[in-house]
Amino acid sequence: MNETSASPATAEATGGLCEAQKVSHDFTRPNGKPLRVLEDVSLSVGSEEIVALLGPSGCGKSTVLRILAGLVRPTDGRVLYHGQPLNGLNPGVAIVFQSFALFPWMTVSENVQAVLTAAGLSRAEVHERAERAIQRVGLAGFEEAYPRELSGGMKQRVGIARALAVDPEILFMDEPFSNVDALTAESLRAEVVDIWSSKERNPSAILMVSHDIKEVVYMADRIVILSARPGRVRTVVANGLPRPRDYRSPEFLRLVEHLHELITGHELPDVPTAPTRPEPRLPEPLPEATTSEIVGLLEYLDARGGRADIFHIASDTHCEFGRMLAIVEAAEMLGFVDTPKRQVVLEPEAKRFLKATAEERKVIWRERLLTLPLFRIVHDVLHRQPGNIVGRDFVLETLVMHLPQENYEKVFTTFIRWARFGNLFAYDETTEMLSLQ
Amino acid sequence: MWGEATALLDRSRKGGWVDLLVVIGLAGLLFGLIDVGREWAGEHRPSIDIDLSPWALPRYTFFSLSRGLLAYLISLSFTLLYGYWAAKDRVAERVLIPLLDILQSIPVLGFMPGLIVAMVELFPHSNVGLELAAVIMIFTGQAWNMTFSFYHSLRAVPLDLREAATVYRFGWWQRFKWVELPYSTMGLVWNSMMSMAGGWFFLMINEAFRLGDRDFRLPGLGSYMSVAVEQGRVDAMLYAIVAMTLMIVLVDQLLWRPVVVWAQKFRVEEGGHQEAMSSWFLNWLRRSVLLRRLRWLFRRTKRGNEETPAPSRREPAPIPVARGTAWVSGLSLGLLLAVLTWGAWKLLELLQDVSLAEWGQVVAAGFWTLGRVLLATAIGTLWALPAGLAIGLSPRLSRVLQPVVQVVASFPAPMLFPLVIAGLRLAGVSLEWGSILLMLLGTQWYILFNVIAGAMAVPADLREVARSYKITGWQRFRVLYFPAVFPYLVTGWVTAAGGAWNASIVAEFVTFKGETYRAEGLGAQISAAAAGANFPLLAASILTMSTLVVLFNRTVWRRCYRLAEERYSLTK
Repeated sequence: MNETSASPATAEATGGLCEAQKVSHDFTRPNGKPLRVLEDVSLSVGSEEIVALLGPSGCGKSTVLRILAGLVRPTDGRVLYHGQPLNGLNPGVAIVFQSFALFPWMTVSENVQAVLTAAGLSRAEVHERAERAIQRVGLAGFEEAYPRELSGGMKQRVGIARALAVDPEILFMDEPFSNVDALTAESLRAEVVDIWSSKERNPSAILMVSHDIKEVVYMADRIVILSARPGRVRTVVANGLPRPRDYRSPEFLRLVEHLHELITGHELPDVPTAPTRPEPRLPEPLPEATTSEIVGLLEYLDARGGRADIFHIASDTHCEFGRMLAIVEAAEMLGFVDTPKRQVVLEPEAKRFLKATAEERKVIWRERLLTLPLFRIVHDVLHRQPGNIVGRDFVLETLVMHLPQENYEKVFTTFIRWARFGNLFAYDETTEMLSLQ
Repeated sequence: MWGEATALLDRSRKGGWVDLLVVIGLAGLLFGLIDVGREWAGEHRPSIDIDLSPWALPRYTFFSLSRGLLAYLISLSFTLLYGYWAAKDRVAERVLIPLLDILQSIPVLGFMPGLIVAMVELFPHSNVGLELAAVIMIFTGQAWNMTFSFYHSLRAVPLDLREAATVYRFGWWQRFKWVELPYSTMGLVWNSMMSMAGGWFFLMINEAFRLGDRDFRLPGLGSYMSVAVEQGRVDAMLYAIVAMTLMIVLVDQLLWRPVVVWAQKFRVEEGGHQEAMSSWFLNWLRRSVLLRRLRWLFRRTKRGNEETPAPSRREPAPIPVARGTAWVSGLSLGLLLAVLTWGAWKLLELLQDVSLAEWGQVVAAGFWTLGRVLLATAIGTLWALPAGLAIGLSPRLSRVLQPVVQVVASFPAPMLFPLVIAGLRLAGVSLEWGSILLMLLGTQWYILFNVIAGAMAVPADLREVARSYKITGWQRFRVLYFPAVFPYLVTGWVTAAGGAWNASIVAEFVTFKGETYRAEGLGAQISAAAAGANFPLLAASILTMSTLVVLFNRTVWRRCYRLAEERYSLTK
């Protein structure tokens, strides 16, 4: 494993509380073939530390979490808890869910009490511990409220209270604040760190999944960066910043910057021969970006002098970073932008595109599409077919053949969207047939 | 605790009369149940003895009601067991769900004569056999859609809730009562209401059933009506209709309305400003001190019982559901398969006696009935689509008329058959055509009901678009209303056609004032074969009808559903 320390203080894991060893995992696709989502992932969570899993969407972060919790059995590799191989549920874990996963028909206190009753506690203990957990997250007074009466932040407090109530040794949090408004998320982060930092009480450790770099730098002691397709551990960054952490301190910002670079350096590598890109002969996966997002990005850049920092764009447009990466990647594939380092720069082609009329735009878009092998293959086949028609299955097969790692249904959707925008092919959803315009 | 007690005393001054009514209600219920028990255990009569005075009606109504409710309880138990089994056991699921689909398509009325005769022979000295047969018949009209709904809900529990239940180590019972049952409640309640209404249809036929010269009628509203028609007592017929209507309204107000209000708690979709529902009866019961105290007592004893066994167990549970039940499930499945094989074998044996000519006759009759079913559905659509749109699109009309339609839809059409047949004879219409009217009587309401629901769900913004672009008349119907209600219309069609098939058995073969009328058709074929105890022909007819229903579902209705889902869905 490649340990890049920002500050060397807590680089070494403090004894494996919970550990994944060489874990690989496959999903079964609708056609029965396996799709590898995780490849050889090894990581450990030590006691008294907060570990964060960071990565673009689709990198299998949540699957790693579920494998460590024992909810999902990995295809390969094993999970250890206190050094013992895990068989079934991880006994020391409670999970806080992204979607809260509260039972809507139970009040706040019933939601918390249910898990304590399920743990086999006596009635008196159930009441006492539920009350304590609810107080600990600042929900006293809301015991009799139903989840639908609460805001997102409040709901997640119930989720946290429910997890704390069972006194877990490790608290797992799966993108816990992504459905919570920004201000509330900020205060919840601080509260969770406070709860964790009282050393004499559980949870001793926290494992969280996130796509928010600032959140991760604020909370985690170690940051595990995953890369996508299939998910692998790319690097682990230790974060020794003293607590409480200040979002505006230079050290904090430097670490955020560093993580940004690590992620973009991998996801948008600088192609050495920028101006005349060697034409790729094999189809590449299409990033999941809509045409309006791509055009929107170009307009955005054009209005700001033709260049901007990708993180700046993401935060400026309130776009999730992973999503922004996909959009930039798509624009780059089409030759509309270049990405030296973290900058996104408009290419002349894009300027021509932006100045064009709606009709001309279609023509340019079509030209750009035909530089991509996937579109060209389908285009050529369509030309050769009698009636200029092929079925959806043909495209899917092409995708499966060349891109076994991809979710080809998604790629197909993107394919159709892009093609329709350029008036390149027509697609009839009911007959599932593609034809030349 | 004392504070609570004095608070109760304090409230009792205001709610005293509620308690009085509750006590009277409970006493009445008890008395009624004893009466029902006496009736069940009573000696079997060769013929029915019905008192046509209106004062006897409450008792008969109560008899009918008790049969419907008992059947419902059985249906509910069946639903919970069968649905749970099918949802949890992947192997059994492959048998159970297709079986349920077939059961749903079988015209159960065809089995009624055989069932009644068999049950009476099983209990020759009391009414138990006859009563049980009635309850079983109603059950077969109630259970299937409830079971499907429950099964689908169980399979649709959101992943995050399931994961939470697993991570927090819910046992199977906790998972069932805290997660799965609550999640299924809404669907179960709506389907229960539908089932209950469908049950009256079977009950009325059952209570008024005679086979040849044997009288199998049961004291209840159905037999009251049939005796009234026999004696030509118009006043008694009207009483019976009023009593039936009152019963439906009362069941709705006293049973379903409170249940629906209570079930709002189990809504899953969050947010959205939904109209707050209320039930006067539930509010009223909540004011009863007596009930509150009973509940409190019940809770205390429950708490006392739970206190004892509470060992602190936190062993790491394996993920899969308890394997201990695997052999129980396997055994049940084996038993079920054995029974099915045996049944299929017996059926084949029976069918050997059916000649090729008879088969041809049965299939030809099947197409006659198919034609009637389609015609009935088409006529129903012709008037119910515009009427439903008119009602559903006007908030004022729908507020007033929707409850009325609901009651009318629940009204069992067979009760009116004698009246309609009398009218048909007067008008000189043959049963060949008249049976279509009889089918329509019961099934058109499903179409109307669904179209109203669909029209009420037409999004306001789309209606505004139509208005602002001045899309009017036929064009508005074509581009907006028809597509918007189409999914609902399909549901209405499927329910109506299914009902019409079943109704054909009683509509194509009618006994009126001692005379038998029959129309050419499969329904008449079934009734005639049953009346003549020609079991091979009966089996062949039922098999043909089931096959036709299933084939039609698979080809036509399923395609309509797909079209509705893909093209006309407003949620996608």
